[in-house]
Amino acid sequence: MTTSATIQNSMTGDNALPLRPPSQVMNLERLGALHQSRLSFMRTLVRRIMRERWQIEPARLDLDADGYGTVVYEVKAPNGLFSFVLFSHYLAPENRNDRVIANEWDLTMALVEGRVDDSYLEQLHQNVPLQEAGRVDSRVFVLSRANRSARTFDYVVDQLARGEQPDVERITKVGYLYRTTAVYGSGKLGMADWEKVFSKHKDFARPFAAEMFVCLMLRNFSLLQAEHIARHKAPDTFQTMQPEIKRHFGIGNSTGLGMAPFLVNHPVLISQWIGMRELALARIRVLGGINSLVKQTLNTLIGRCAQHTRDTATEDAWQTASNLQVLVDLDALQSYVATDFDTWDGLIAWSEQNCSLQGQEMLVSIMLEIYPELVDDLEDFHNVEELLDLDPIMPLVQLKEVIETRYNWALATDFNAEGARETCWYRSEEKMEPRLGNSADEEAKQKQMAMGVGYAVSKCYDELCRYITEHPQQNTARFMVARPKMRGIVRRIQTMNRCIYGDIQTNLLDRNVLPIHLLRCKLAFFGVGKFDPRSRLWVRNTMFQGAPLLEDIGKAFNDDWFMPIAPKQGRPC
Amino acid sequence: MNISMNELKAALRRCFEASQYFGGNYEDAANMILWLEKHGLKGLAELERLLPYITEDTDKQLSSMLYEDSASAIIDSHGRSALNCIAASVDLAHAKALINGIATVTVHHCHNRMFVLKALTDRGRCGISVAAYWQNGTHTVTEHVAAIKAGARYPSYSEAVTNLSAGSDLKQTLTIICSSRVDLTASLQLSKGNRNARYISPDDVAENKAHSIEHGIEIERDLWDRINQIGTGILVENNDQSRQGAGY
Repeated sequence: MTTSATIQNSMTGDNALPLRPPSQVMNLERLGALHQSRLSFMRTLVRRIMRERWQIEPARLDLDADGYGTVVYEVKAPNGLFSFVLFSHYLAPENRNDRVIANEWDLTMALVEGRVDDSYLEQLHQNVPLQEAGRVDSRVFVLSRANRSARTFDYVVDQLARGEQPDVERITKVGYLYRTTAVYGSGKLGMADWEKVFSKHKDFARPFAAEMFVCLMLRNFSLLQAEHIARHKAPDTFQTMQPEIKRHFGIGNSTGLGMAPFLVNHPVLISQWIGMRELALARIRVLGGINSLVKQTLNTLIGRCAQHTRDTATEDAWQTASNLQVLVDLDALQSYVATDFDTWDGLIAWSEQNCSLQGQEMLVSIMLEIYPELVDDLEDFHNVEELLDLDPIMPLVQLKEVIETRYNWALATDFNAEGARETCWYRSEEKMEPRLGNSADEEAKQKQMAMGVGYAVSKCYDELCRYITEHPQQNTARFMVARPKMRGIVRRIQTMNRCIYGDIQTNLLDRNVLPIHLLRCKLAFFGVGKFDPRSRLWVRNTMFQGAPLLEDIGKAFNDDWFMPIAPKQGRPC
Repeated sequence: MNISMNELKAALRRCFEASQYFGGNYEDAANMILWLEKHGLKGLAELERLLPYITEDTDKQLSSMLYEDSASAIIDSHGRSALNCIAASVDLAHAKALINGIATVTVHHCHNRMFVLKALTDRGRCGISVAAYWQNGTHTVTEHVAAIKAGARYPSYSEAVTNLSAGSDLKQTLTIICSSRVDLTASLQLSKGNRNARYISPDDVAENKAHSIEHGIEIERDLWDRINQIGTGILVENNDQSRQGAGY
């Protein structure tokens, strides 16, 4: 049985497995090359729903012929009953805006504990459609909104109304009927705090499980609504959508800079997520047996990943080039596997010599896919208590050594070089949206967020070196009394020294920083695919494409929706 | 109105950041207030008392060491709020106690000493016992003691009205006792002329926390608006240039 103690023993000490080093893994460009895996939160959520056979049924379905109205699903999970509440409205095309600053949407949604009566539903109706401008109470634990895809929604409705199936090739280019533009949880807007969700609602007591669930429910509703409208539009000719095509619809997502500070502000949590992925890889490298079936599965998955990559539509030149390189990598990988593959260590070493970072990380995700028995139990260890504790007794000489060892990347950065501190991150007065600015802008510079961890460490190190020459015998507590402005960064340094992976190793203040890597890293842990960067600051992607449908719950489930590819058009149901 | 703990923490962080608290310290200050409120110990009432002075600490001298030996220290906080200086004093007591078994740190000229409870609880969680004692009041003197056992998650707290005369040397002073060898379960004596004594046990503190987790935090609309208004000081004006930095 896997416990926190056995995990600890696998990661440190004499019995530790060969983990990849932090200097390799915590490199920002590599983090920005991560892909979905079977440890991604969407995968773990769907596994839980399918294995526990959650009962999800509509308790209220008040939709007019155009699909506008109120819908409530009751969700019976093993540890509680929840309600998914959705309001669908007419939205004028000119008001459809994906940015966080929008104030009207096609759909708004809430996940609520317990059953919703008429009175509470009315209360939700007064507030949920307002999103940030409304208030909810602690019975609600996720709030979200979504907009229809102008490229697919009406087209799909028209096809179904005519009794025809949507064209798979056309659907593949977009991948969804709705795009969510924000998913809020963790106590925002009066909702339940994560502490409550974690301690009271065991069914959602994993990071972002409730938020992912709302997106899954949105995906289900988007299909139901399209069919509903088509049925009312042409009852005589309407046909339902084939399940294979339905499963190929995911939910679109636009993610901007708002997600980036999370990775810097939650270093212990991020280190834990990375740690579980790396532990899974290390287990496979040591314990993953290789036989003809494994080789065949590997080969199949490489082919699937290649097709998935070919199916990914993007206009972004960098992502296009990157995807083309991944295809080259996968092709080379397939050739290598056919001839020289006999150990995972050998394959990893070969990929590090011959593949791009995206190709290398694609291989890691594939490897995880092959060994559920070595991987899946780690899904229960993504939570961690995020305490940044000072170690007051640590001698200053040791603190200095810790910085030199764990933050050598920061000490190696010349923060006085041109452009090294040119970027500043700040919050706009417009919905407190995080934005990037130039340090030449005095207001932005003065009000910047504390994103420059490397720079702060470097300044702390200089201060510490000066102090230590006069007080070589003192400990951290004494240093904190003398230099209280260093307290925050020292506490972080000491805490991250207790984590395996620690901080992201990059200078986020650099002129050429690519925030999109931060977004991509977190999105990969969520489990999204089909990355389509719209600039270096925001990215479109697809969630839950290929996942089982609600009507699949209770049926056979092989948990095989990794890197989904398009179904064949016209294949019978 | 009702808000979540996360909302309160985020708003307080912005508020203290805008009030020129330095990095690491504005998080501490927010956490200290939230901790008291979450555990039923009136953190928001304490905050309301300090809000008119919130920016004054920027101009004050940093804490200085008046005396130090291996088992004790005296620190002058120069009239600063405990929000931005007390955690370091508790950490120092912790470090000295680990070396000597027991240590005392006295902090002079420190306001809002109730906030020591969060720092004290953090140290208790890390495996050391801590007690803190202070007096308060210009006309009527009250006294206060908080304590936590080594390894415990919650402290006890007691307060009482005394018959001591105002103008005591202990005004604005906080005494911290820390031990790695003795469990300090301090409470106020009732036989010294104390009146209206109140004792809150660790179990009471835990129960208050459970209530806050379930229902969130109640706050006066006016106080909430004031906190958020101060916090706007860290927000940058929205203009065309700024919008380019949002990526659209």
